[in-house]
Amino acid sequence: MLAASTTTLPLFLALSACAGPNPLAGPPPLSSDVRGLLDAVTDEQNLIWVYKRTMASYSAVAPALGALLAEHQAHLAQLRAMIVEPPGKTIPGTVTRKPAVPGTAAAAVAQLRAAEQSATTAQLRRLARAAAPLAQLYASIAASEATHVSALTALARSPG
Amino acid sequence: MTAAPTSTATPQPMQPVPALQAALAAEHTAVYGYGVAGALLTGGEQAAALADWRTHEQARDTLEAMIVKLGATPVAASPAYALPFTVNDARSARRLAAALEDGVTQAYLGVVAVSDPTLRTFGALAMQPPANRAAEWRGSTVAFPGMGA
Repeated sequence: MLAASTTTLPLFLALSACAGPNPLAGPPPLSSDVRGLLDAVTDEQNLIWVYKRTMASYSAVAPALGALLAEHQAHLAQLRAMIVEPPGKTIPGTVTRKPAVPGTAAAAVAQLRAAEQSATTAQLRRLARAAAPLAQLYASIAASEATHVSALTALARSPG
Repeated sequence: MTAAPTSTATPQPMQPVPALQAALAAEHTAVYGYGVAGALLTGGEQAAALADWRTHEQARDTLEAMIVKLGATPVAASPAYALPFTVNDARSARRLAAALEDGVTQAYLGVVAVSDPTLRTFGALAMQPPANRAAEWRGSTVAFPGMGA
């Protein structure tokens, strides 16, 4: 059995192979794996933002959401760790989607559930063409998000 | 943007048949293990264990068919399996069920390492039900289902 772990994920891939007449003219184009990673980082940042806003708006559900938020923060840290930041450069930390928090706790939890479902789908789309170790990371995060969907479904029944 | 993924080596992809055989072996283990766990549970928990046991039987049959289609002979179940710890009450039975589901989740993660995108997606989707069942039996989720600590 393949022994994968968050600490032993093989390091992977390089930028797209140098091509063109003048490789020193500028930075090489990003490989599809790097683009996928950056998209995954952005998606995690967006999810974390929604969790934090929901928790700030509805204290009754905050304890239950806190555990799921912590797992997303772990996902983000792991995804960021897969990318080397050259000196003077940083991975974008911008939240690109800031939906309004719904007017009831139940609706807010439902919004989180939909966001988790969407995130799972995005991970599955990414992993099809990713390098194997990265595909495994996406698959594991997708499975985690699937468990969040279930947890949020249960929470929606009794949001407190 | 000049960010680059960390890179020291490019590992070889997992081959389909060994990955599927490992998943099948994990399903065999789960089928056996739920027989042990279920006997120590009662009421709704026993019903859940029975449902999960049947789910693993179906997954086992699916994997066997896939392996045969690839021209290989599916690994057979062992008559018995060593349990990872003593299982003698409901609490340890729940713990065993979670451990079985973790093992199955990890095995399907191996399938995700193959190069065939269809098989990869199959493995990734197959991870999700056992990850959910593990969370149910454990009573909590984990950040990276299928991956070691």
